[in-house]
Amino acid sequence: MVASVDPDEDLVRRVGQGDPAAAQALVARKLPRVLALARRMLGDPAEAEDVAQEAMLRAWRQAPRWSPGAARFDTWLHRVALNLCYDRLRRRREIPTDTPPDRADEGAAPDRGLLAADTGRRVDAALRALPDRQREAIVLCHYQELTNIEAAALMSVSVEALESLLSRGRRAMRQTLADLSPQSEGRRQGEGR
Amino acid sequence: MKIDRLEALAQAYGGDLRRWPADQRAFAESLIAADPAARAVLDDAAALDALLDASPAVVPTANLAARVLAAAPVRKARGHLGRLAWFLGAGWAAAACAGMVAGVGLTIHLTADERADAVLYQSSLTGVDDAEVLG
Repeated sequence: MVASVDPDEDLVRRVGQGDPAAAQALVARKLPRVLALARRMLGDPAEAEDVAQEAMLRAWRQAPRWSPGAARFDTWLHRVALNLCYDRLRRRREIPTDTPPDRADEGAAPDRGLLAADTGRRVDAALRALPDRQREAIVLCHYQELTNIEAAALMSVSVEALESLLSRGRRAMRQTLADLSPQSEGRRQGEGR
Repeated sequence: MKIDRLEALAQAYGGDLRRWPADQRAFAESLIAADPAARAVLDDAAALDALLDASPAVVPTANLAARVLAAAPVRKARGHLGRLAWFLGAGWAAAACAGMVAGVGLTIHLTADERADAVLYQSSLTGVDDAEVLG
């Protein structure tokens, strides 16, 4: 991993010393990231909140003994949150429920004007329909904006394997959302004339 | 070959070079400058990026943030009350030490007097006995 200065180091040190302003700043900086990660990994708002809260509680416990240099704090927090997400995904597989998991909405009428919110919901549904590892790769690289090296390390895979997961995931998303792409929009308008 | 590599990277990382591996960006930029087909590859990948970005932003509720903050580590604060308690505690400790020192001193003084009286008394008794024996 590329050695670099951890932008969170000072904040975490102050949190460890019990500085309330630092705790507030760390919540503002990290809670949205952790929650977004969990939300997109799990697709369930309530479960995502539980995971985000637990990850932040572990951060509070870790802060007083945080030693800079081993890993960036952000990467460490992602690892904690991802492990919590995988615990829940495993539990879902072990305890099948009557409610089937959300699937991508395949039946959107092409001639229906889709609002941005509808598009967002369909994108989220398509993301949920991906295999876990492909979803994880896209969430880490696209939404969490981690570098390929950070994402590969978090997923314990090589950069080449990460690229393969990303390519397959994006291809599947493209197919699922094909009717929303600008090209298909243009085609539809052409057919309508 | 070069355009194949560019396509592979765009399929993985999308159309925004800021998401690409740092060591591949210069290669992509030079190819885009030289070949319009390379620009088209990135534009195509950027269209999917735009769709992915339609995923709604996730914002923590105030309630969640408050729950998290409530559990944050707190400094063992020594506020006004804490300082007062500390000074009171120190005062009691000092008084206890002084009392102990005074007590020890008094005990030594009293036992020394007692011991002197006992010696004097013993010596007077010895004197009587000696007189009787000698007399």
